[in-house]
Amino acid sequence: MARRQARVGYGVPTLLAVGLHVLVLLFSVISLPTREHEPSASSIVQATLVSTETVTDQAQRAEEARQRALARQAAEEAAAQEEQRQAAEEAATQEAQRQSDQAAEEQAREAARQAAEAEAVRRAEEAEAETRRLQQQRDAEAEAQREREAEAQRRREEEAAQQREAEEQARREEEAEAQRRREEEAARQREAEEQARREQEAEAQRRREEEAARQREAEEQARLAREQAEAEMQRLIEGADERVANAQQGQQAANDFIALVRRAVEQAWRIPPNISSGATAEISVRLGPSGELFVAEVSRSSGDSAFDRSAVQAVEAAAPFAELRQLPAGVQRDYRQFNLRFRPGDVR
Amino acid sequence: MNDAMSIPHLIMNASTVVQLVMLLLTVGSILSWVVIFQRTFMMRRARKAHRGFEDRFWSGVDLNELYREVPPEQETQGAEHIFRAGFREFNRLMPKTRSPQAILDGVQRSMRVAWSREEERLNLHLVFLATVASASPYIGLFGTVWGIMGSFQSLSMAQQATLSTVAPWIAEALIATAMGLFAAIPAVVFYNRLSAESGRLLGKYEDFAEEFHSILHRNLQGRSDAGGA
Repeated sequence: MARRQARVGYGVPTLLAVGLHVLVLLFSVISLPTREHEPSASSIVQATLVSTETVTDQAQRAEEARQRALARQAAEEAAAQEEQRQAAEEAATQEAQRQSDQAAEEQAREAARQAAEAEAVRRAEEAEAETRRLQQQRDAEAEAQREREAEAQRRREEEAAQQREAEEQARREEEAEAQRRREEEAARQREAEEQARREQEAEAQRRREEEAARQREAEEQARLAREQAEAEMQRLIEGADERVANAQQGQQAANDFIALVRRAVEQAWRIPPNISSGATAEISVRLGPSGELFVAEVSRSSGDSAFDRSAVQAVEAAAPFAELRQLPAGVQRDYRQFNLRFRPGDVR
Repeated sequence: MNDAMSIPHLIMNASTVVQLVMLLLTVGSILSWVVIFQRTFMMRRARKAHRGFEDRFWSGVDLNELYREVPPEQETQGAEHIFRAGFREFNRLMPKTRSPQAILDGVQRSMRVAWSREEERLNLHLVFLATVASASPYIGLFGTVWGIMGSFQSLSMAQQATLSTVAPWIAEALIATAMGLFAAIPAVVFYNRLSAESGRLLGKYEDFAEEFHSILHRNLQGRSDAGGA
């Protein structure tokens, strides 16, 4: 009975209320993006970019970069060769220097040897002179002994004999001494010669090793230079590729720039009255490096001179376009010329 | 319009106070809609029940039979409630007093009490709806003012203030006002509608009470005339 159901709970109304709000939320989220996609039909100035940059230009530029890289590589190779040659010359001069040094050293060594020999000879002569002197003395003594024999014959004879004997012994000792000295001298000389020879050999060995090391170093340097040159060339080629990619990025930056220009021109445009909505004029715009206006001329007339004039005046009023300076430096040059298409559309 | 200007994005980026205001307004809106739905269903059922009861009452059925139809422990609503209250009082007073005026006074009093209960039942929560309707725009406005204050404080630190730097802040702040109005407008409309409905039903109850009173009065008059004769 209806009377039994008269009390209404809160469950169903709560569900309904929450559902309603969720629905409203969904509408606000979903309907907005769809509205966003609608193009701004009120855009009255359509700017089209006349890019001076073409794909073939890009390819050509890349090719140029590659050639430049090759030329640079050749130059670097020549430089490396030059360097190598210089290194060789330097090595040669060093070698000559070293040889002269060596000769001088040998001379010195020779002189030392000769000096040693002379010394030995002198010593031998000295020893001989000594013996000679002793002989003379002995003779003189024998004479004196003979003279004194009369005075003290036997004793003196004995003494003389003793003395002779002593002298003989001294002489023998002297001779042995001289002999030993000579032998020692010869041994020393031999030893010195041996050492000099060893030193010479070691020196030659060291020189050879040094020479080899220098040679290796020079080769290494040449190889490094070659590798560097190759890497340089690779980088240059990559740079060319990057420039092609940059051109595409620049395209987007230019689109932003063009949008700015279009907005500025739209705001500055006073459309003359009584213009048919189909009228379209194209204005060719050329800008200076800092965005100042060089030329704005009608490239395609709408047929109505007042309309064309208003379009040119709009561009002149909107200039200068300082935003050009915000473009990447590489693409500024390419976007200093563009076309603007004016059509009144349905906006008056 | 870019992605930064979409409504969910703006709500997410709002300041804490503005977000609290938005939350409060959302809760208020949901509750007011709960009340709207509940009252609407309730009013429709009360109207239907009243129509059914009047049909039965005027169909010539015996009043004692009508009274005994529903067990007394079951709670009734609307005109039936008024009828039962008055008839119960009438039956209680009948054996105790001979004065028709005293009986009628008692019956009227008990019916007025029942009517007052019905009024309270029908207007339940409608005050909340009225509160939401009147306060929501102000709460939303507070959120907007607060948001714009914050936006200007942030703007003072900016190097240059273009329209594109100010616009998101203003849009974000204005969402609070929009939400306040979103909560307030249905509340206002349905408060008026529901209170009118409730007033109409109460008027019908009052009419029924008067008619029932006149029936009892006629009944008592006839009885006293018969007793006197």
